[in-house]
Amino acid sequence: MAIVIIIASLFVAALTGIASRQRKTIETVSIAASLCSFGAAVAIAIEVASFGTYSFLPLFSVDALGAIIMLAVAAVGVATAFYSKGYLREETAKNIIGFRRVKQYFILFNLFLLAMFFAVATVNPIIMWISIEATTLSTAFLISFYNKPSAMEAAWKYLMVNSVGLLLGFFGTLLYFTSIHGTGLVSWGMLFANAGHLNPAVAKIAFIFVLIGYGTKAGLVPMHTWLPDAHSKAPVPISALLSGVLLNVAFLAIIRFKAVTDSVLGVHFSQTLLIWFGLASIILAAFTILTQKNYKRLLAYSSIENMGIVALGFGFGGLAALAAVLHMVYHALVKPALFLSSGNIFLKYSTTKIKQVRGALAALPITGILFIVGFLAITGVPPSGIFLTEFSILAGGIGMHPVITAVAILAFALVFAGFLKHTSSMMFGERPDDVGSGSGERNYWILIPPLALVIIFICFSFSLPPFLITLLHNAAAAY
Amino acid sequence: MAYNFLSFFVIIVFLTVVFLHVTRKNSMVIALYAIQSAAITLILFGSFFETHAVSLAMIALLTFAVKVVFAPLFFTRLIKKHRLTFSASTYLNVPLSLLAVALLAALAHSRIFAPLVAIMPDHAPMITLAIAVMLIAFLLIINRKGILSQMVGILSLENGIVAFSVLSGLEQSPALQAGIMFNLVIWVTIASIFASMIYRHFGSFETTVMKHLKEE
Repeated sequence: MAIVIIIASLFVAALTGIASRQRKTIETVSIAASLCSFGAAVAIAIEVASFGTYSFLPLFSVDALGAIIMLAVAAVGVATAFYSKGYLREETAKNIIGFRRVKQYFILFNLFLLAMFFAVATVNPIIMWISIEATTLSTAFLISFYNKPSAMEAAWKYLMVNSVGLLLGFFGTLLYFTSIHGTGLVSWGMLFANAGHLNPAVAKIAFIFVLIGYGTKAGLVPMHTWLPDAHSKAPVPISALLSGVLLNVAFLAIIRFKAVTDSVLGVHFSQTLLIWFGLASIILAAFTILTQKNYKRLLAYSSIENMGIVALGFGFGGLAALAAVLHMVYHALVKPALFLSSGNIFLKYSTTKIKQVRGALAALPITGILFIVGFLAITGVPPSGIFLTEFSILAGGIGMHPVITAVAILAFALVFAGFLKHTSSMMFGERPDDVGSGSGERNYWILIPPLALVIIFICFSFSLPPFLITLLHNAAAAY
Repeated sequence: MAYNFLSFFVIIVFLTVVFLHVTRKNSMVIALYAIQSAAITLILFGSFFETHAVSLAMIALLTFAVKVVFAPLFFTRLIKKHRLTFSASTYLNVPLSLLAVALLAALAHSRIFAPLVAIMPDHAPMITLAIAVMLIAFLLIINRKGILSQMVGILSLENGIVAFSVLSGLEQSPALQAGIMFNLVIWVTIASIFASMIYRHFGSFETTVMKHLKEE
C-alpha cells in the first residue's frame, strides 16, 4: 500500500502542476507529495528491515538495497521540494523565470521523483529500464530550464549520451533473459533463480553492456561526459537530485546485474571491471577538481569521484561492499546539501565562477559554514562518516590490490587539495562591492533544507538508526 | 518459407542502415528510417503468423503506427518547418565511412559475438546481421554532425536491438513492448522539440555549432 501512496501522491502533484493556476497550490501540493513519499518510504524501509522484503502486487518488490536507495530518494526529494519553493521564488523576484516556468518545473520535478521510485521498486528489469529512461526524458527539459544556449547544449548532450547508453544497457538486459524460458513478467528473483541456465560467455557480454549502459547514467568514466555539463546547467534542486540520488538509482541496476553475473561467472569478472572503471573515475575527477573554475562543475566532478569510490568498494567486495552501500547513503546526504548551498551562493553572487566568489563566509554566514562542513565531509575528513567508508573501502582493497589502493589514496589527497583551494578562495577574502545584502540568508526555505541534510549526515556519521543498520548488512550480504 | 521471409526483411534492415551512411539528404534519411521500420514491423508480424497471438499483432500494429507513421511524420514536419534539405554532413568522408561500415560488419561476424549468435543457432546469419545493424547504427550516431541523423541513428540502434530480440527469441511480453513503444513516442517528441529549440538558438541543425560549453 505504501508504494501506492508514493505513486499516487507524486502523480497527483504532477497533475496539480498541469491543472492549477495558483503558484502556492502547486508548491504546497508538491511539498505535501514529497512528505507523503518520505513517510511511505520510511514505512517500506522498516518493513524490509523486519521481514526482508516488501512486496505489493506482482509488480513491486523492494529488497534491502532498494529500500536504502528509496529512502535516499525520498529524503532528498523532501529537501529539494522545500528548497525549490524558496529558490524559484527568488529567481522569479529577479525576473529570471516566470509562472509558466515554475509550473513546468514542478510537473517535471514530480515526474522525475516518480520515475526514480518506480525504477527502484519494480520487480522487472525492463520496467526498471523504462523508468530510468523516463528520468532522462523528464529531466532533459529541466536541464535546459533557463533556455540559454549553453543549457540547451548541455541538455542535448545529456539526452543523446544517455539515450545511447541506456539502449546499450537495454541490450545487455535482454541478454540476461536468455536464461528464462517462456514469456511473462520476469522478475529479478527469476533472473537469480535461473542464472545457472545463462551461458557464461553471454553473461560476460551482457554485463559489459549493462555496465557501459547504466554506467553512463551513473557517471562512470569514460561515459561521464554529460554529467558535469548537465549538473552545472540544471536548476540547483535538480542538480541535487541528479547528483545525490539519480546516480545511485542507476548504480542499483549495475549492482543487481552484478549479482546475477557473479552467480554465473564468480565474482572476479565483475569486480575487475568495477575496480578499473571506479579507479578511472576517481583519477579523472581528482585532476579535474584540482583545476576547476566553476563551483557547480566542481561538485559534479566530485559526484563522478564518489561514484568511482562506490564502484571501487563493490569491486573490492566483502567489507568494502558494505562500506560502498553506506557511502551511497552519505553521498546522497552531503552532495545535495553542497548543491543547495551552492544555490544560495549563486543567488547572492549571480555567478558560478569560483574566482568571482570571494568572502562568501561573511556574505552568507550559515551557507558558508554549511559549504565548509560539506567540503570537509565529502573529502573524507575525520570524523565524518565518509572518512569511515573511504577508509573501510581502502582497507578492503589493500591486501589484494595494493597498487590500486595506493593510487586511490593519492587521488583522494588531490581531491582534498583541490576542494581546499577552491573552498578557501570562495569563503574567505574581501567580498566584491557589487554583492549586495539582498537575497540569501533571510529566506528560510533555502536555508533549512541544506542545514537539515547536513545535520542528518552528522548524526548518521556517529550513529545510524537500527533499521538502517539491518538494511545495510542485508544489502551488503545480498550483493 | 518463414526463414526466407525473416531473412529478406533483416537484409532490408541491414541495407537501410548502410545506405543511411551514404545519403546526404535529410528527406532520404527519414525515408530510409521509415523503410527500415516497416521491415521491423513485418518481422514482428512474422511472430504473429507463427504464434497466432493477437497481442503480437497489436504490438506489430503499434510499432507500425509509431515508427513508420508517427516518427517519420514528426521528422518531416521538422525539416519542412526549418527548410532543411541538406544537413547530413559527416566527420568521415563516404569512402572512409563505408570502410568503417565494412569493418563493423566484419566485427559482427567475429568470434567476439559468437556467443550471441549461438543463442538461436537456426537464425545465426540473421542474428549476425542484427548485431551488424547495431554497430553500424552506433557509427552513424558518432559520425554524423546533423542532429536529425543522430536521432535516426539512435532509432536505428533501437531497431537493431528489436531485430536481435525477435531473432533470438527474447521478445518481451506485449505489455512491456507497449511500454517501450510509449517511451519511444515520448523520446521522439522530446528530441524533436529539442531539435527545434536548438535551431532557434544556433540557427543550424549541426552539432558543430554548439560550442558554448567549451567556451565557458
